[in-house]
Amino acid sequence: MPDIENSTPILFAALLGVILLPLFVAPLALALGSRLGRRTGYVAMAAPLLALGLISWIACKWPDGGQRIVSVPWVPSLGVNLSFIIDGLSLFYGFVISGIGVLVCWYAAQYFEDRQKSLGWFFACLLAFMTSMLGAVFSNNLVLLFAFWELTGIASFLLIGFSHSDEKARLGARRALLVTVATGLCLLAGLIMLGLLGQTYEINVLLERAGALSQAGGPLLTAAGVLILIGAFGKSAQFPFQFWLPGAMAAPTPVSAYLHSATMVKLGVFLTARMFPIFGTLEFWMPMVAGVGLFTMLLGAFLALRANDLKAILAYSTVSQLGFLIGFYGLGSAQGVRFDFVHVISHVFYKGSLFMIAGIIDHSTGIRDVRKLGGLGKLMPLTAGAALIATAALAGVPLTTGFISKEIMLAEVGKLADAQPIGWVFFGMVALSAIFTVAFASRLFLGVFTGKKPTDLHFHAPGLVLQLPPILLAAAALVFGIFPGALGNVLDRLSVSGLHAPAEGYLALWHGFNRELLASTIILIAGTLLYLWAKKTAWRWAVTPRWLQFDQAFDRGVDGLGGFSKKLTLALKADWPPAYLPIVIFFLLVIVFGAVIANAGSLKDISTLELKFDPLRTFVAALITLGLGAVLLLRRWTSQLVALSISGFFLTFYFVLYHAPDLAMTQILVESASVVMILVLVSRFSSASRAGTRFEFTFTWPQIVRAVLALGMGLLGTGLVLFAELNKHPDPVGPRMRELSKPLAEGTNAVNTILVDFRAFDTMGEITVLLIAALAGIGLMMRYKRSSGGKDAMSAPGFLLGGKNKKP
Amino acid sequence: MKKLDSFLLDAVLGLVFLLVNIVSIYLLLRGHNLPGGGFIGGLMTGMSFILLGLVRGWKDLQTEIPVEPLRTATIGVTIALFSGLLPVFRGDPFLTQYNFHATEVPLIGELHIGTPLLFDIGVFLLVCGMTVKLIIVLARSTSGLPPFSKEETHLYASVLEDPIEDAVKGKETPHAD
Repeated sequence: MPDIENSTPILFAALLGVILLPLFVAPLALALGSRLGRRTGYVAMAAPLLALGLISWIACKWPDGGQRIVSVPWVPSLGVNLSFIIDGLSLFYGFVISGIGVLVCWYAAQYFEDRQKSLGWFFACLLAFMTSMLGAVFSNNLVLLFAFWELTGIASFLLIGFSHSDEKARLGARRALLVTVATGLCLLAGLIMLGLLGQTYEINVLLERAGALSQAGGPLLTAAGVLILIGAFGKSAQFPFQFWLPGAMAAPTPVSAYLHSATMVKLGVFLTARMFPIFGTLEFWMPMVAGVGLFTMLLGAFLALRANDLKAILAYSTVSQLGFLIGFYGLGSAQGVRFDFVHVISHVFYKGSLFMIAGIIDHSTGIRDVRKLGGLGKLMPLTAGAALIATAALAGVPLTTGFISKEIMLAEVGKLADAQPIGWVFFGMVALSAIFTVAFASRLFLGVFTGKKPTDLHFHAPGLVLQLPPILLAAAALVFGIFPGALGNVLDRLSVSGLHAPAEGYLALWHGFNRELLASTIILIAGTLLYLWAKKTAWRWAVTPRWLQFDQAFDRGVDGLGGFSKKLTLALKADWPPAYLPIVIFFLLVIVFGAVIANAGSLKDISTLELKFDPLRTFVAALITLGLGAVLLLRRWTSQLVALSISGFFLTFYFVLYHAPDLAMTQILVESASVVMILVLVSRFSSASRAGTRFEFTFTWPQIVRAVLALGMGLLGTGLVLFAELNKHPDPVGPRMRELSKPLAEGTNAVNTILVDFRAFDTMGEITVLLIAALAGIGLMMRYKRSSGGKDAMSAPGFLLGGKNKKP
Repeated sequence: MKKLDSFLLDAVLGLVFLLVNIVSIYLLLRGHNLPGGGFIGGLMTGMSFILLGLVRGWKDLQTEIPVEPLRTATIGVTIALFSGLLPVFRGDPFLTQYNFHATEVPLIGELHIGTPLLFDIGVFLLVCGMTVKLIIVLARSTSGLPPFSKEETHLYASVLEDPIEDAVKGKETPHAD
């Protein structure tokens, strides 16, 4: 059972408010969207603003370094509770998500053009995304965490694919969804394993048992840890999943700024931090987290150096920085890490700012290619100033938070290198990627804001309100870079026991002459030299090698899967029942009759059956047989279909005779609907094609086989009826349902109470399947064909391929 | 399928449509205690639309229906899901049904109503929407009309794909509507 300590209703209400506020504002944004246009953003801004206020209030009530749990049981039978954790980690991320959320809503309200459509939908998705992010970081239950985790995936899919008429946006959204959901499945498996090992799904209890868990160790715990890390890596775009993030750049810029600086990709970092106390001391942790993280850092920096699109550079640099953030958790000693929040907040400051600046440049020039830009500094000095600070922070120039963050990282890697030789490899990776980062950061600023303005560049000045959010973020990067102590004090208050090492040392701009400073200086000089060399060669080599992008291979894999399932479907001849029905029927007969023969001893003798003659039923049975006989005798297949429907209608009488009015009504309605459908279809065929041949038995092998199978099925049906009559269940469910219908379900129609009450879960599933079937049916009837030719993996199997199937 | 050119049918159609739907809603409401229910009612309403389409022609039916049938179906599933999730918030298992009893309701007298009805309404909307949508698409598709209106094509079809007619003829055929 979860500890419900300090659980106060007010706190719970406040926390629920934080998480659900954006969700409640979402319908409002959706409703106002068409009327207010882009100004819906200001309405949407209310939600993160209020959430920010509530989080601040909660933080004030919260004892430093402590942990408060608020919990209500949700599905107690499965150990799933609506339980939320308030500690330094969740509060920190709560602040980041809602704080940047305010700025992003503000920015988006200015960014979009007035003619942009469905902005209500956009802001609703953004708010839904916010809710799922906040829910994920505050969750104290592994299952709840996973639910919110997947919701972020779905919301981000909608956001990335917002401009869905653009092929790139759809592909990017699909990739992001497939990668994060597939890795999310690994996460689910890992979380469940962890929950079983720790005998609880409550995170706070698991954290308490962390020491005992990791001491016990075992392959299962390692497997759980690896699976959870795969989930985190997928979300945070770590190698080998890094390819979805650049593809997601097709999203509108406010989305990129939010998803890729502050939120979605940070979820993996968050999870790594959350799981650190449990897995941090295990053997696999350091090589996997640090190795993958720092390798991704290097790969991302290398790719960013070779990209030309503003947003692509930023995307790859995000990949690189995420590697940095995650890798940092792999370096820490068993006591925990320190200053990890500095990296996160610093990245939020400059990356959020840079994405918004890229959006402003795109907004005012319509160009995102660095090679075609230049000289914008004079035209928009404010943005240029913000960009200067942000790129400096990216490059790790002193006086910015980026410098502080890089110093800490270098110190940490240096410490590891002193202890283990592999640390030098990590040190080299960090240094090399930092050099790359300096080079492309210089290019970002110098290439866009200095130099000569290309003559064919159209420019219209951006509004001041649009420029304010990035300026605010850049200013924060500068202020906290100059006075890191203030940042350190705040972040130290948010430390979490188990994750964070006890406080020693402090954040400061100047730590004296030491190894980190030397390394920083060398990195800055080497980076500048690299930039100068690159400028001399005019970045001619700056083309991303296709083999490093992975996305094509991924798309080929997805297409291959489609192709495989199509081949399989064709091999099974799913579109030509006469090919597969005999096989199905044959095995059905073998299994059922096999079972009957095997259990022949225990069955009641058929001679004990009492035969009663009922004239009405016999009459109806004769009528049905008449209809079926007509199917065999009639010549045209259209008439055969009608005859079949007629026997279907006669079946209704049977239900009437057995006092089943519900079934009778359903049967009549279903039959009439299908008759109309059949007739509509029939009208499509020419009268010549409607003429068929009379059925004749010719004693060829295929016909004999089919006849045997058909007789067998008839025998099976009759046999089953007789068997059921002979071997009645001692406690049949029917009468009980009828008895309980009134007292339990408060209805007298047992059929209906079964459908909507006793077996409502079944009905729920059935209607969902019905909806899916309707959508699939519509897809089949669309009569669309892929025009691009070539691979046809996605087209419908069978009838579009023509010629490959046997004609009936 | 061409529309039926019958003056008589056309004249009584409105009345028949109304009557069928009154019956179907009656069946829906009484379903919990007497034969009927959401599935039967929904199918009946669906049939009434099919009748409308047969007489008035499928092309007009699509424009005449005020709501998109597929959306109705989705709303139906959502309502059913909502009625199931409702008890979860009160701490009861998923799909727990609540019943309310009032003995003195003006004009009606005794009233027994419960969340099963909400669930049944969901089923009703789904079955009705699905039937109407499928039959419209099928009928339009088989009578040479494009299966979708222009907006729907934009919604459902991939840009990588063309209608088969276009792909065969190699030219743009104007969309109906």
